[in-house]
Amino acid sequence: MSSHCRIERLLGVLLLFAVAGCERERREYHAAPAGDNPRPALTEFQPGGSDTAVSAIGAHFEANAYHINQGGRWYRSFNCNGCHGNGGGAIGPALMDEQWRYGGNIDQIHASIIDGRPNGMPAWRQRLTDEQAWQLAAYVRALAGNVSMAAAPSRREAINATPPLNQLPPQPPRGGDPPTVPTP
Amino acid sequence: MATLDYANTRYSTLGEINRGNVSQLKVAFTFSTGVDRGQEAAPIVVDNTMYIVAPYPNVVYALDLSKPGAPLKWKYEPKPAPASQGVACCDVVNRGAVYWQGQVIFNTLDGSTIALDAATGKPNWRVQLGDINLGETITMAPMVVKGKVLVGNAGGEFGVRGWLAALDATTGKLAWKAYSTGPDSDVLIGPAFKPHYATDQGRDLGKSSWPGDAWRLGGGTVWGWISYDPELDLIFYGTGNPGPWNAEQRPGDNKWTAGMFARDPDDGQARWFYQFSPHDVFDYDAINESVLVDLPVNGKPRKVIVRPERNGFVYVLDRASGEVLSADAFGHVNAITGIDLRSGRPQYNPDKQPAVGKVSRNICPASTGMKDWNPSAWSPKAGLLFIPHNNLCMDWQPNEVNYIAGTPYLGAESRMYAGPGGNRGVLTAWDPVARRAAWTVKEDLPLWSGTLATVGELVFYGTMDGWFKAVDARSGKTLWQFKADSGIIGQPVTYTGPDGHQYIAVLSGVGGWAGTIVVNNLDSRDATAGGGWANAVADLKQRTTPGGTLYVFALPH
Amino acid sequence: MSAVPKPLRCLALLAAVCTLLVLSGCRGVQSVLDPAADQAQAIDHVWWVMVSVCSVLYLAVLVALAWALLRARRRREALAEGTRHDPAWRQALVAWSILVVGLLTWFVVIAFLADQKLHAGHPDLEVRITAKQWWWQVEYLSDDPQQQFVTANELWLPRDRTARIELRSGDVIHSFWVPALTGKEDLIPGYTNALLVTPRRAGAYRGQCGEFCGLQHAHMALDVHVVDDAQFAAWQQRQRLPAPVPSTALAQHGQSVFMGSACLSCHAVRGTVAGSRLGPDLTHLASRRSLAAGALPMQREALDQWLRDPQHYKPGNLMPAVPLSERDRAALADYLMGLQ
Repeated sequence: MSSHCRIERLLGVLLLFAVAGCERERREYHAAPAGDNPRPALTEFQPGGSDTAVSAIGAHFEANAYHINQGGRWYRSFNCNGCHGNGGGAIGPALMDEQWRYGGNIDQIHASIIDGRPNGMPAWRQRLTDEQAWQLAAYVRALAGNVSMAAAPSRREAINATPPLNQLPPQPPRGGDPPTVPTP
Repeated sequence: MATLDYANTRYSTLGEINRGNVSQLKVAFTFSTGVDRGQEAAPIVVDNTMYIVAPYPNVVYALDLSKPGAPLKWKYEPKPAPASQGVACCDVVNRGAVYWQGQVIFNTLDGSTIALDAATGKPNWRVQLGDINLGETITMAPMVVKGKVLVGNAGGEFGVRGWLAALDATTGKLAWKAYSTGPDSDVLIGPAFKPHYATDQGRDLGKSSWPGDAWRLGGGTVWGWISYDPELDLIFYGTGNPGPWNAEQRPGDNKWTAGMFARDPDDGQARWFYQFSPHDVFDYDAINESVLVDLPVNGKPRKVIVRPERNGFVYVLDRASGEVLSADAFGHVNAITGIDLRSGRPQYNPDKQPAVGKVSRNICPASTGMKDWNPSAWSPKAGLLFIPHNNLCMDWQPNEVNYIAGTPYLGAESRMYAGPGGNRGVLTAWDPVARRAAWTVKEDLPLWSGTLATVGELVFYGTMDGWFKAVDARSGKTLWQFKADSGIIGQPVTYTGPDGHQYIAVLSGVGGWAGTIVVNNLDSRDATAGGGWANAVADLKQRTTPGGTLYVFALPH
Repeated sequence: MSAVPKPLRCLALLAAVCTLLVLSGCRGVQSVLDPAADQAQAIDHVWWVMVSVCSVLYLAVLVALAWALLRARRRREALAEGTRHDPAWRQALVAWSILVVGLLTWFVVIAFLADQKLHAGHPDLEVRITAKQWWWQVEYLSDDPQQQFVTANELWLPRDRTARIELRSGDVIHSFWVPALTGKEDLIPGYTNALLVTPRRAGAYRGQCGEFCGLQHAHMALDVHVVDDAQFAAWQQRQRLPAPVPSTALAQHGQSVFMGSACLSCHAVRGTVAGSRLGPDLTHLASRRSLAAGALPMQREALDQWLRDPQHYKPGNLMPAVPLSERDRAALADYLMGLQ
């Protein structure tokens, strides 16, 4: 009787692991059509209170190891590394820190890639598919350590420039130190 | 002009300030440009008015020196396209304007050349020469020779095809345009072309030394300095690196990049060419200043060009033929073992040759070169060339790159760091006749500012953390220094004010390729950020902050 | 002699059928048993020697086993006697050992000689193949840079000349294998390997990736054409030319669709502004025998289906389904089919 319970428990634990690990291996080769894209606000400054929730599609992309890794491929192939280095920046700003001109959540990064930005970020909307842009946005999130450690890639592909992405501490877009005295 | 004279000597005969009294130098007045990006310009002074070009958005200021405090006479805002900031490889700098017959002529980042009326600041003409959608920008200081404005483009890191254009200075109409790659007809190579070395002789080498159509993306941009010899009636200038940085995608000598041309200023026809780095593999642009000097070579006086090159050698070339008379290393070099004077070709060190996917380590000098664009100064009195330069080595890894117009076309990552000795910068006083350094001053940070030499036996230069220094031209001893509000990467100039006294002017405001870590707030945890510079000056953010101020100094009077 | 039992008869029939099927694989574009080059010939020679010798020995062993079994039925008692002291037995054992050692030594020698043959030769043609997931980038090199050009998924070789094929990888480990021409060689990221090939028989052959390299490893084929010198020179000349200018209005529209969409980010078409190496070079796409590294035939219908959804035919490959209108896609297909 007790051995049955033990086996069942073991199987249950294994099943849990299997389910938890599923997301890492899930690969989708088709993305949702462009019409499903969110149009995020680029600033948290919204009169009367702000809604900063990330869209479901964005949350999905940044939790998936395959998409983040594909984004890493595109990052080098489409010369993002020419302007942004391996996250440290060059012609363009650093992507591995917590400072973002146009917003640092995945929806906002995706919008910056697709639409371009006035001070030099090209508009990629004609040159990438939407899925590629989401994958890139997920990778950019990973550059700052802002994705789950289970999903982030564990090795660098380039000259050993930065620590592996799954070892970076998360740097959420809101910069500066948190307040030490609570709001009265 | 920004070069002070056609010969690019940057040597002033104003001697009021000298070794004896320079320690008393004080700030006479200052002026904020309102732009806190890299200030690489040289202020120019004509008729008691000083003209400054700021980095993007390239505002031009005219300061009235005849009034106390040098108030603003006029300012002109060209309003270049904001997107041009995204295709400027090395900060949004501008190296200055040129004055000619009542006009102030300058270039904007997004590729136009504008001539302003010097008295009122109103534009006389404006020509659009570059296309930012191809990655083209213009950062160089134009020069006027025989009534033609010489303008060259930038963008060798974006697969841009380089050119030098001559515009009529009165109307802005294009007189001629010489490309740096492609068929002879585009490069303006004709019957007058007589290069000294065999490897530069042949038909359409600007095509045949490239695979397929790679010459269209070949680089060779002209973003540096131009010299002019009125006696020989020739202009001299260098071409930038070939594109992409990954040399395996462009086998062949890649003419006419990483070399220098001598051309006839009237029609642009090439007279000779010498290639410092055939099939360049390390981004060794050849746009540095060509200093025109009369020197005794082997006992006989000769008209030469002295060139402190990016690849680490000081070249002395014959001005008329382009023959290399000597080439000596002025710092630690291991990428090249020597220059073969017979063939003119550099002997590349096989241990340091890069390959795709392989990391080559400890290559000296780094891709920014032993000396980058920042110009040296020649003192005929001392017989020395004062070279402000780097002491940097690098790790370099090429990989395959995709050409997508308007995006960087590089294919190499690098990480730069201090060379032997640990000091990242050096001021070398080079004796081109003796072919060695007379003295050197080691600096902790790389030197990215220009130099100014005066008859008072002084050499002025600035450091990246903001120290503006005057050193003794005989020994290099610091006689005076002043801490400016931001790192200095500009070109110091001197002029006689309306009161007859000598003034020294320099722009402070760190930036440029070297200072990108400060102005763009790069993250040095990524050692390849800033094209490798973030690693070389990872401490720079602690030592200086962005700025954009003109400082003018004078003796108390 | 007793009749051969039924199961044995069935087994013999089955063996005969299998043999015939196997023998039918002796020919074909990808057959290792139909060598068309010196290197494949050398390997083939070693293979036949080993197969023959081992078959003979195998049969001999089977015969001996059968004989022993049959004899054992009748002379069980005789075998009870000790046979270890029989000198004939020892001699037979020694002879057998010498035979085996001798044959093995022979194998080593011929394998060594074949290996020497594989690396011998003076190449006068240099080709660089960079394997990427999941296609082949083929660059023809030359001392004169203007003679160099890039193509994809096809390899043309001149007959009776030795080519040196430099092997590199753009991402993971692949393996280059054209069975009719030579053996396998891995393409390892960060390394450069090389192979020599001296084809002797003109024709079309097929190669494929021989090292598991990801989802579409099975759909990474290479079309190899061996032709005589004159045809090879003509093909090279055509390949060096830039892409043909589209002649019809629809094809022109197709070109503008290409240059205005995501195609530009990944594919090169020489003579236009498209210069990316992420995907196969398309300059002379329509002159190739197959699409998508052998996954589809080179036909307009197949191309149209491929453009519609590349993920359907090669799920996981790096080409996304670029959203285009029907008209734009038709124009694009027209344009691409015109890139002869």
